[in-house]
Amino acid sequence: MGFKRDKKEEEDGGGNPFQNVEKTTVLQEARTFNDTPVNPRKCTNILTKILYLLNQGEVLGTMEATEAFFAMTKLFQSRDVVLRRMVYLGIKELAGVAEDVIIVTSSLTKDMTGREDMYRAAAIRALCSITDASMLQAIERYMKQAIVDRHAAVSSAALVSSLHLTRVAGDVVKRWVNEAQEAINSDSVMVQYHALGVLYHIRKSDRLAVTKLVAKLTRMSLKSPYAVCMLIRIAVRLVEDDEVSSDSQLFEFIESCLRHKSEMVIYEAAHAIVNMKRTTARELNQAVSVLQLFCSSSKPTLRFAAVRTLNKVAMSHPAAVTACNLDLENLITDANRSVATLAITTLLKTGAESSVDRLMKQISSFVSEISDEFKIVVVRAIRSLCLKFPRKHSVLMNFLSAMLRDEGGLEYKASIADTIITIIEENSEAKETVLFFYNTMLWYKNAFHTSASSLKIVNTPV
Amino acid sequence: MLQEPTLYTVKGMAILDNDGNRILAKYYDKKVFPTVKEQKAFEKNLFNKTHRANAEIIMLDGLTCVYRSNVDLFFYVMGSSYENELILMSVLNCLYDSVSQILRKNVEKRVVLENLDIVMLALDEICDGGIILEADSGNVVQRVALRADDIPLGEQTVAQVLQTAKEQLKWSLLK
Repeated sequence: MGFKRDKKEEEDGGGNPFQNVEKTTVLQEARTFNDTPVNPRKCTNILTKILYLLNQGEVLGTMEATEAFFAMTKLFQSRDVVLRRMVYLGIKELAGVAEDVIIVTSSLTKDMTGREDMYRAAAIRALCSITDASMLQAIERYMKQAIVDRHAAVSSAALVSSLHLTRVAGDVVKRWVNEAQEAINSDSVMVQYHALGVLYHIRKSDRLAVTKLVAKLTRMSLKSPYAVCMLIRIAVRLVEDDEVSSDSQLFEFIESCLRHKSEMVIYEAAHAIVNMKRTTARELNQAVSVLQLFCSSSKPTLRFAAVRTLNKVAMSHPAAVTACNLDLENLITDANRSVATLAITTLLKTGAESSVDRLMKQISSFVSEISDEFKIVVVRAIRSLCLKFPRKHSVLMNFLSAMLRDEGGLEYKASIADTIITIIEENSEAKETVLFFYNTMLWYKNAFHTSASSLKIVNTPV
Repeated sequence: MLQEPTLYTVKGMAILDNDGNRILAKYYDKKVFPTVKEQKAFEKNLFNKTHRANAEIIMLDGLTCVYRSNVDLFFYVMGSSYENELILMSVLNCLYDSVSQILRKNVEKRVVLENLDIVMLALDEICDGGIILEADSGNVVQRVALRADDIPLGEQTVAQVLQTAKEQLKWSLLK
């Protein structure tokens, strides 16, 4: 056994060239950056080690960081593409710690406007990470040019960076609205998405401007599924904020997205419709039938998204979900336990009293495997079930008591305790079972000290 | 309930080994796990919950996490629990496919560490400060500046092959 472990460690050590990397040694090695001519391979390797250490959580002091940063600036001499790109990464990582980082401004500006396409986009992003409000003016002209650059990478980099820059200089970006507007017509999926993000950010406080933007974009049919998802969210906001006269055109747009060719967009639209206040029964049914289709998808994420949304619908409109009961039945043994849990709790909300025992048995077979988040979902389902079918309280109370004894966080335990209180308060028959619970709660109280809800339960008159 | 429409979609990305240790990880929202200690605790927990069940998606600590694994590597993308799960999935697929192409389909820990610089560049091309920068793995790979000698032999010219051989000989002597 001991031999085996040694061998394994040896293998691991041999496999991981970074295992024994130490901060002080690497920072020493970084002095090599000052050598001329630069050895790209060697320097890239050292820089990778520094970035690896930072990523592992190693903290550099201001002095150390500044020293490493200045050594790194020497690497601008080399034209090696990988090395240059690693230098940009290093600049971004150290920008928050090292002092006088603006020293690289001119080098980066040169790269961002230069001829080497492999540099430009990444240089913009590095430059904006060291730019503050006072320096922004100096690069404004280049940023405007970059936003409308014909290279998608350059344009995206400039748009995304300008959004990050709103944190240091909120107003400057507003002057780039014309360029962003031009970028939204781009053929690139990502540029279109980023341009919409920037435009919305600039206009979001002006409702009329947002309305105009959405009206224009819903007519031009965006190519990027990401941009359409974003547009749906903006439209939802407009519809929800407007309580008096709901604009039916906006809703029609969202509904039309149910027939989009991208699953991402279809789901976004269905999710939006289900959650909107003004949705009518007919519109709800359309969204639900799309989600029903997703329930039988081969992709776990799609099934998860669908059943999670249906679970929510079941709370407000249980009748609308009954059409999916057959599909949900197929999911109660799903290999993804979250999907199974959501399917079962949805069925509990929509199904008949006769299926309660069967579903509870199914869920107890794997309840220990699921995360606290989902255990709380189960507890909430049981609560509403007890109120709906008072005669089932003994099955459910037994289940709750078993859950209470299992491992779990405070929030989860508190939700069980609260549910038990609700059941006792609402159901006179359940009071008889309470004595049994009293003991459980006492045990719980001792084991976990006192929380507000466990105290409350212990004080409930029996 | 109503979310502010924003481009800030991704809360974090991580590549872990088969002991749940971090190879690379990035968190983009200071409010989610502000310290490295909290981040690593979350990663351990996430790994424990996901390494056996190949179920692709899980909710943990208020985040929606999508994941994929191969041999001894685990790839994760995290977003808020209100986020469109399919958008997060498209980011994960891009991450996985990009790394897979960079490593010439040898998706395993040793090879990741040998190419760590390029993998770092790929992560940086996929997500910038929480905004999805690129979701097409082809574009990502094109932008991370793969070294010339990393191109498979069949696609190199004779001169390049000779040059590479010379380099390798030189390095093996220097080691």
